[in-house]
Amino acid sequence: MDPTIKDFEAAIAELEGIVKKLEEGDLALEKSLELYERGVQLSRFCHSRLEEAERRIEIVNERGELKPAPSSLNLPDDEEE
Amino acid sequence: MSRLPFEDEKPSVPKVPEVPAVPKVVRTVLTVSELNATIRDLLENQLHTVWVEGEISNARVWNTGHMYFTLKDGASQIKAVMFRSAVRYLKFKAEDGLKVVARGKVSVYDPKGEYQILCEHLEPKGLGSLQQAFEQLKKKLAAEGLFDPARKRPLPALPRRIGIVTSLDGAALRDIIRVLRRRYPNAHLVLSGTRVQGEGAGREIAHAIRKVERIEDVDVIIVARGGGSLEDLWAFNEEVLARVIAQSQVPIISGVGHETDFTICDFVADLRAPTPSAAAELVVRRKDEFFGHIGRICERLDAAIHHRLRRMETRLHMLEARPGYAGFEGRLAVRGRHVSELASALRQRVSQGFARRARRHELLRRSLDQFDPRHRLAAVRTRLVSREGQLVAAARRRLTRAQTRFGALAARVEGLSPLAVLGRGYSVTWDADRTRIIRDAATVKAGDAVSITVERGSIIATVDRVNRE
Repeated sequence: MDPTIKDFEAAIAELEGIVKKLEEGDLALEKSLELYERGVQLSRFCHSRLEEAERRIEIVNERGELKPAPSSLNLPDDEEE
Repeated sequence: MSRLPFEDEKPSVPKVPEVPAVPKVVRTVLTVSELNATIRDLLENQLHTVWVEGEISNARVWNTGHMYFTLKDGASQIKAVMFRSAVRYLKFKAEDGLKVVARGKVSVYDPKGEYQILCEHLEPKGLGSLQQAFEQLKKKLAAEGLFDPARKRPLPALPRRIGIVTSLDGAALRDIIRVLRRRYPNAHLVLSGTRVQGEGAGREIAHAIRKVERIEDVDVIIVARGGGSLEDLWAFNEEVLARVIAQSQVPIISGVGHETDFTICDFVADLRAPTPSAAAELVVRRKDEFFGHIGRICERLDAAIHHRLRRMETRLHMLEARPGYAGFEGRLAVRGRHVSELASALRQRVSQGFARRARRHELLRRSLDQFDPRHRLAAVRTRLVSREGQLVAAARRRLTRAQTRFGALAARVEGLSPLAVLGRGYSVTWDADRTRIIRDAATVKAGDAVSITVERGSIIATVDRVNRE
C-alpha cells in the first residue's frame, strides 16, 4: 500500500482538499498537474480500499485466535427482507 | 419507733378473703444471659418475618462484610444489621438518607442487650432496587467523567474489520449480520461470543470486548443484545463492563435492547445505537454511498484540471497569434535549412574529390600492368616506387587543399548560422555544459547554471525563477 496515504479517512480528506485547491485556481500549471496526479492516486486508493475487504465472518476463541464462523451464521443473501 | 399501720393490722385481718388458690410463686432468678435469651426467643418467634420501612442512617460496612445501620422514621429508630451473605446480593448501595423497605426478623444482640432487626433483604422505597443501583452507578461514573462527550472517539469511516460482542445464538447477531450484508457486502466481521445475561455476564461481556479489541485491524466494536426486562439487560449496567468500555483502545458502539432502554453501557460507549440493527447501520455507510461520494469528488477533480488546461491553451494560442513570435520562428527556420543544405553540399564535394583520386590511382595501376613483368621488372619496380611516391605526395596535396577549402566553407557556414545573429544583439542560452540549447523554460529550474552566448564571449548565469508560460 502507498506509504504516503495513511488510511481511508486521510485519503478522502486529502482528496477533498486537492479538489478545493484546484477549484480555487491560481495555481501554476505544473502544480495543478501535480495535484491532479495525486488526486487520481488517492481516488484509486479509496476505490481499492472499498473493494479489498473480504466478505468473511470469523470468531475469536478463548485463546484470542480467529476461527471461521459456523456456516449457520453466514446467512444467505436471499434471507434479506 | 412506732409501728407502721399495716403491720399492726396484719395479724388481725382474717376477714380479708384469701387469694384463692394461688400457688405459691416459686421465685425463679434468671441470669442476664438467660433473660436476654428468653427475650430473643420471644422476639424471634413473634417477629420472625417483618417488613419495615424507614430511612437509613449511620450505615457502615465493617471489614467483616457485615453492614450495620439504623432505620428510623420521624419519631423512632431501630438498629439494623445485614450480614455479608445478604449484603452480597444488594444491587444498590445502602446509603444514609435512602428510604428503604427492609425484610428481616427482630432479634437481640445479647452482649449489649439491644434488640435489632436482622435484614435479609433491602429494597429502595419507590424505585426498584435495580433502578436504584442503575441511578447510583450512573451518578458515580458521570462524576468521574466517563460519560463526557469529549471522551467519545470518532468512528472510522471505513472499518477494516468490525468486532461484534454479543451472544452467538442471539437474534441480535443475526440482525447485525443481515444489515451489514445488505449495506456492505464484503465487510469483514470478527465475532466475540459471550453470555449476555445472568450472574457474572457483565464480566464475561467485558472479557469478550478485551479479546476482540486485541485482534489486528478491528477498528470498531459493536456491543449488542436484543430487548428484555431491566433484569435481562442488567449485565450491561455493571460497573466492570462500563470500565472496560471506557478503557477500550477501539471505539465502541452500544446497541442494547430497544429504543427506550438505556444502559450504563450506552452512556460509556462512544456511540449509542437504539437497537442492534441500528448499531450495524451506524458502523459503516452503505457501500454505494461511499462510491457516490468519491465519484463526485473525482468529477470535480477532473473538471478542475480540464478548466485549468483550457485556460493554458487559450493563453498559448494568444501568444502564438502575436506577429513577433511567428516572424522570429520563421526566420530561424529559414536559416537553419540553409545551414544544413550547405553542410550536405560540402560533404558531397569532399567525397567526390576522394573518388576522383581513387579512379586515377586505378588507371595508373592498369598502365603499369601493361609492362612485361619478366624483362622490365627492375625498371618497372623503380618507376613504380617513384610513381607511388608521387601519387602519395599528390594525394597529400589534394587532401590539404580539400581541408583548406573545407575550412573556408565551414567559416562561411558559420557566418550563416543563427549564431551570427548574435551580432544583432540576440543571445543563445545553453545548459551548463553547453550541450543543449534551452528552448523551453520548463527544462530548467531555479538554481540551475546556464551559459549564455552573446556576440563576444559568453556569460555563465544562474536561474532565479522560471516562468513556464
